[in-house]
Amino acid sequence: MNNHQSSTSLRWFPAVMATGALLLLAVLMLGVQLSTENTELVVHFAASERWNLILSGAVLVFLVQLFRNSISAFWQGAKKHNPLPQVQLPTLNENKPLKRLLICFAVAGLMIWPFFVSRGAVDLATLALIYVMLGLGLNVVVGLAGLLDLGYVGFYAVGAYSYALLNQYFGLDFWSCLLIGGLMAAFFGFILGFPVLRLRGDYLAIVTLGFGEIIRILLNNWTSITGGPNGISQIPKPTLFGLEFSRRAKEEGNVPFHEFFGIDYSSGYKVIFLYILALLLVLLTLYIINRLLRMPIGRAWEALREDDIACRSLGLNPTAIKLSAFTIGAAFAGFAGTFFAARQGFISPESFTFIESAIILAIVVLGGMGSQMGVILAAVIMTVLPEFAREFQEYRMLMFGLMMVLMMIWRPEGLMPMKRPHLKLKDHQPDKGDVSVNRQPIAESV
Amino acid sequence: MLKSFNKKMAVLTAAVALGSASIASAADTIKIALAGPVTGPVAQYGDMQFIGAKMAIEQINKSGGVNGKDLEAVVYDDACDPKQAVAVANKIVNDDIRFVVGHLCSSSTQPASDIYEDEGILMITAASTSPDITTRGYELIFRTIGLDSMQGPTAARYIINSVKPQNMAVIHDKQQYGEGLASSVRDEVQKAGIKVALYEGVTAGDKDFSALIAKLKKEDVDFVYYGGYHPELGLILRQSAEKGLDVKFMGPEGVGNKDISAIAGAASEGLLVTLPKSFDQDPANARLVEAFKAKSEDPSGPFVFPAYSAVKVMADGMKLTSSEDPEKVASSLRANSFKTPTGNLGFDGKGDLKDFSFVVYQWHADGSKTALTK
Amino acid sequence: MDSIMPESAYYFIQQLLNGLTVGSTYALIAIGYTMVYGIIGMINFAHGEIYMIGSYVAFAVLAGLALMGVDSVALMLAAAFIISIIITSTYGFAVERVAYRPLRNSNRLIALISAIGMSIFLQNYVRIAQGSRDIAMPSLITGGWTFGPVDEFNVTLSYMQVVIFIITFITMTLLTLFISKSRMGRACRACAEDLGMTRLLGINTNQVISLTFVIGAALAAVAGVLLGLYYGVINPYIGFLAGLKAFTAAVLGGIGSIPGAVLGGLILGVTEAFTAGYFSTEYKDVVAFSLLVLILLFRPSGILGKPEVEKV
Repeated sequence: MNNHQSSTSLRWFPAVMATGALLLLAVLMLGVQLSTENTELVVHFAASERWNLILSGAVLVFLVQLFRNSISAFWQGAKKHNPLPQVQLPTLNENKPLKRLLICFAVAGLMIWPFFVSRGAVDLATLALIYVMLGLGLNVVVGLAGLLDLGYVGFYAVGAYSYALLNQYFGLDFWSCLLIGGLMAAFFGFILGFPVLRLRGDYLAIVTLGFGEIIRILLNNWTSITGGPNGISQIPKPTLFGLEFSRRAKEEGNVPFHEFFGIDYSSGYKVIFLYILALLLVLLTLYIINRLLRMPIGRAWEALREDDIACRSLGLNPTAIKLSAFTIGAAFAGFAGTFFAARQGFISPESFTFIESAIILAIVVLGGMGSQMGVILAAVIMTVLPEFAREFQEYRMLMFGLMMVLMMIWRPEGLMPMKRPHLKLKDHQPDKGDVSVNRQPIAESV
Repeated sequence: MLKSFNKKMAVLTAAVALGSASIASAADTIKIALAGPVTGPVAQYGDMQFIGAKMAIEQINKSGGVNGKDLEAVVYDDACDPKQAVAVANKIVNDDIRFVVGHLCSSSTQPASDIYEDEGILMITAASTSPDITTRGYELIFRTIGLDSMQGPTAARYIINSVKPQNMAVIHDKQQYGEGLASSVRDEVQKAGIKVALYEGVTAGDKDFSALIAKLKKEDVDFVYYGGYHPELGLILRQSAEKGLDVKFMGPEGVGNKDISAIAGAASEGLLVTLPKSFDQDPANARLVEAFKAKSEDPSGPFVFPAYSAVKVMADGMKLTSSEDPEKVASSLRANSFKTPTGNLGFDGKGDLKDFSFVVYQWHADGSKTALTK
Repeated sequence: MDSIMPESAYYFIQQLLNGLTVGSTYALIAIGYTMVYGIIGMINFAHGEIYMIGSYVAFAVLAGLALMGVDSVALMLAAAFIISIIITSTYGFAVERVAYRPLRNSNRLIALISAIGMSIFLQNYVRIAQGSRDIAMPSLITGGWTFGPVDEFNVTLSYMQVVIFIITFITMTLLTLFISKSRMGRACRACAEDLGMTRLLGINTNQVISLTFVIGAALAAVAGVLLGLYYGVINPYIGFLAGLKAFTAAVLGGIGSIPGAVLGGLILGVTEAFTAGYFSTEYKDVVAFSLLVLILLFRPSGILGKPEVEKV
């Protein structure tokens, strides 16, 4: 506003305005309390702590605004003297064998890790891995192909219900259902994607949102088959070549895992087995997506995201390419859903609401669209952070929302922006609506 | 401007964070996990469960604790989300807690109880009423509240014998609790030859029921049973009065709290509600009610006393067996009966209360109620 | 009045009126979405929460006035509208400054995530400030008209419904006049046409965008007060569902077009009422979303939307 003034001048006007705005925002919302006494609506002033909070907030805002020029000058100076260290994640592209070795170590570490930590941690890690899978799948649709999908949770639900229903009615086991669940979700993705993929951007977003809701409502209403809101319970856990991880075998003639190997029963095995299974599924997902990315289809996704018209001029069929991304993304949601059903043992439509889609989307964007390492990191943060913040239970969702906003402002390109090989010819501002990719001159193949 | 707003948010968050002090853990205590929604849309029902259970723990500790140890409450938030409920259950296993009072929503209790049973943890729910929870042959899962399958028949019996409608409608909120009750009522009254002209679900959280009410009017129904919670039924009552639909309504315990009168006003007069006996009205519990009031807590919620009893029977079971082994406590729960504010409780083989009776009440516009049956 | 029409006709009229009432409030909220989208091309996901805040403020004002002994309905209504509009406008303004302005030039998705974050934040902020319980209030305006046979199905139209129609109509007229006649309105239209060019012509586009958010929030406040009074119940979660419906309405009518938002809202409201009335309440939302999909298939930019021109 008055930025042209000298750096130490006081900013009375903005300070008064900002404080006034803050008071308007806070006084009627935080300062008074609506409640029902007997059956009457009453309003009274909130507790004095709250008023102290509002007033101290107002004073703080006033002072910060008043001296903002000096503060920012001081900040700039401090930055000049002590530049913040640029966090540069090591790139391993130069050294292929070393990279392979490190990956092997990391995977081995992740495999052994659960045997040394607590059960709660392993379970949490399993949940995080489900989100990694979902994030990676949605990343194909949103990050790579640039299609905004707000109904991704629908395909997740299809996968979960495929397993639950096939198991309940036909007694199929986890392993065959894993495949069927993925295929079913892919099929749904194909059928739903076919008519809508010619829609652009935000229209696609609302239509996919609608599809997600429709799938959930149908599952909820179709009580005779899906159990409606009661959901489906007692979904069996996966087995290892037919060995169960329960204390006693559920089916006649089956031998539980611990008896087969002659070791003592520990419930921890089941949790660890689920974790390792999730880890393997994630690794498989990563492998498949990485292979696809290097195939013409993967290149076409990104090309389409960057420039629709150029793609068409080059003879690529945009609908087919979009559809392939949509279908493949849906398939991974199906895998994740099947696994989720197995981990939960019980599913009901309320696990597949819109907010779930929003969280998965947040993972993709937070991680840096298109960047797989970023998505993994973001999925882990999004699942683990709320657990650590359980002391602030009351304020958990508040902070979650705030974090989403602040992250987008401070690091809109995500935690780990996608890096890609390309040469920079000259600087130019990315257009509005452009999917921003990190423009660093790295002339090196991925 | 921008920075100042961010700062404001930061200060707010930090300030509120400091406000919530954490509970310091005592040296030698028996921990009881209280699992339920602290956050989310049904947090208010979670509160009922927590204040009841905490009061029980406080009073048991005041009178000397259990087996020479104090009880300690540890609250876990599942937000009524099945996914978080499983995480909470695993955390409880992890924190080496052997006794759980919770969860609230049946859809959370169900997946969590799989884990408790497997891990040898004793769980007593004071609020989940779905029959499915105790039909799985589990040994460590109990509840101190009645089942939907008990409440539905009570309502149906009253409809058949006392209301005697010609043409009724059954509405539900498409949730586990509401639909379960609604379908059980529908089946029972149909068996008795009453015509159910309309059986339909509404969306929980919806605010406009005018289309449904016009339909009820057109079908000329003379009685409506609603399976669900008070916010939707309150609105249905209110809008029915405005739209000139003049029929009697009936609902389950989920609608039976004062808020329904706040929402529906005069339209809530005459509503029929099946409720567990209101324990806070029982003269025997007067001192307990005083204790709640002294802490300015509301003892009238339907889950407050069952939660109190859940802790009470747990503690009594531990005292009887002089052990903290959940399996021993569980078998003693099945073998004995316990004196609690909700009556003399005994458990059957499934872990349900041997008898838990629901009473039909008539609701009044000022939020009070009179019993119509015993 | 004697029965001049068959019962089914009365039923039809009743459901139509029900649908139009709901539809006009969808329309009021939908305009906020459509104006913001028209000008900066982003979905303001937090708009539903602004509507919810509007309801809360109105309840606080009404309860406060009632405690002070004010009993004139007109005065109470006027106070509720004015204070609620002022406060939600400030919220709209602040949300734009904090969560959207820094992201003006970034990818749409980034802004969308920020908006979803803002929506979650506001919802929980109100939950913590006011509790998650339903807050209820008795009707301020009661009574209505009844048409049709006395002993058969008759149509009811409450005064409150009429108030909703009238206020919606007045608000829409004022908004249309503002957009088409005033200087700021012209600036708004110019920004919607070409933001960069408008800036070059010396118009303070930041001011125009702020104004858009303020107007959108004010309309949400009007909807918040009206719906708060009509249904009489609020909680911190009402914004999400209402926002979702209004957003659907905006897209249905053609996002970016103000008449489109109104039309979309009315169509959505009437569709829902007829689905519930003639088919089943359970499938209300399914039919509403399916209608959206169908319309978008045949008119990819909504009913009144401008077809998007692809630029190289």
